[in-house]
Amino acid sequence: MIASIPRSLPCLGYGLGLRVEYYEALLEHPGPVEWLEIVSENYMVPGGRPLVWLDRFRQRFPLAMHGVSLSIGSTDPLDDGYLARLAALAHRIEPAWISDHLCWTGVQGVNLHDLMPLPYTEEALAHVVERVSQVQEVLGRRILLENVSSYIRFADAQLTEWEFLSAVAERADCLILLDINNIHVSAHNHGFSPLDYLDGVPAARVQQFHLAGHEQGGPLLIDTHDAPVVDAVWQLYVEAVSRFGRVSTMIERDDHMPPLAELLAELEHARRLAAPLLQDAA
Amino acid sequence: MSTLRALQQRTLQAVLDDKPPRLRELRGDGLANASSRMDVYRQGYRIRLRTALEAEFPGLRLLAGKRFERLLESYVAAHPSGHYNIRWHGAGLAAFLEYARPWCARPALAEMARLDWLISTAFDAADEAAVSAMDLAGVPAVAWADLHLRAQAHLQIVPFTRNVEAFRRAADADGPRPRLRRHRRPRHLLVWRQALAVRYRPVEDDEHCALTAAMRDESFALLCDRMAEHHGPANASRRMAQLLRRWLDDGLMAGWRLQQDSM
Repeated sequence: MIASIPRSLPCLGYGLGLRVEYYEALLEHPGPVEWLEIVSENYMVPGGRPLVWLDRFRQRFPLAMHGVSLSIGSTDPLDDGYLARLAALAHRIEPAWISDHLCWTGVQGVNLHDLMPLPYTEEALAHVVERVSQVQEVLGRRILLENVSSYIRFADAQLTEWEFLSAVAERADCLILLDINNIHVSAHNHGFSPLDYLDGVPAARVQQFHLAGHEQGGPLLIDTHDAPVVDAVWQLYVEAVSRFGRVSTMIERDDHMPPLAELLAELEHARRLAAPLLQDAA
Repeated sequence: MSTLRALQQRTLQAVLDDKPPRLRELRGDGLANASSRMDVYRQGYRIRLRTALEAEFPGLRLLAGKRFERLLESYVAAHPSGHYNIRWHGAGLAAFLEYARPWCARPALAEMARLDWLISTAFDAADEAAVSAMDLAGVPAVAWADLHLRAQAHLQIVPFTRNVEAFRRAADADGPRPRLRRHRRPRHLLVWRQALAVRYRPVEDDEHCALTAAMRDESFALLCDRMAEHHGPANASRRMAQLLRRWLDDGLMAGWRLQQDSM
């Protein structure tokens, strides 16, 4: 059993990523879904169907906003227009929290639409910490940053990935969205221990878990979100729960969308795995 | 320039370039060398953009057929994405097809891309309430001449020389590929969103004339004058009333006011 770890934001329980394919089914048969995570950019639009659906879900579920384009590690200036739209969406739906990724998505005005890893150097650390502070000031709240899956690493790294993530969180006073699948994928691709990763992260700053599937792309694992969560990731999830306790958990699925029932079954599996570890936790 | 910025610029080029130089900052290992690791990002960039464009341009996909894949590849190679929303990379596709070889030799492709994109942008355009016939029922008969209508801000009227709308309808219905036809003279298509449904339909010359005049804030009296040019003074008011009824039924108008034109 794990003792309760004090956190500044509430635990929302077990949720799903809100995707168009499940709009109607989720409203009619939400089953055990306790909260939903939206992809922020999909709803940073002037009007129409996306916002109508979003308002319906807002009435039924707690929502968290998860972005893919903040580009917190880019050396381009922060996009004021993007931040304004992000803040407007947050004002509209009052999410439980706002998250994005510890990465850069482009530079020189070009967007690669990918979660590019940073070099884990003191220079990059200082750069990201400064920008997280700016973003948190604009949004008027602490944000969550997620560890990404990566396929490259830079020769001049001075820190491990988890040291870098932890230092950003501590110095910028932000929170952590720990993607269990991404830890597994990057641990395989770069040859580090996923348990070292978990042991190196400050528990009180971990606010959310992501669970997802991946695929084998040659010798590398690729974070595709198009398959069920694999056993190794479930085992790592148990390790994470045993260290971090009761943390909001959700399943991400973005391709090869199965019937909703399959995702609900995965969610139930997560709940069953965590339950024995959480019996004594508040 | 900072070390981090220089590194990001070189990494960006390594993703975008067809034959990028080796990035000396990257470390490979026994699992995979640095080059094959970088290929994950290079391939991912192209696949993601192609997938996003495929979703936004179903009419173009049907029209271009086997050429569609190559068309998208050439656009992605020529135009890096600049918007935070990947979907908006489609904003430049019609212009690209208009000037880039070999695509510019087939003008229907650019026209099809333009219609697909108009439909895409209408989908999540800003919401505006639609004026109904009931809203205008209280306008006194003597004041109708001074009525000014305001169209939905997202409404678009665009000329097309080919029957590209038939391809979009077929794509949406998962139907067979229509035969491409060239109009004897350009025809206008109206694209708008009624409540949550994106709609498009051809407009005849007289409706095009009246609707664009209304969008220029001309009074109802002037709209009737324009109808007189098409149908003669005796039939102008009746035709204008028909058009107005259709505009209101279609939800094309977002507002109205009464204001005398200045002399």
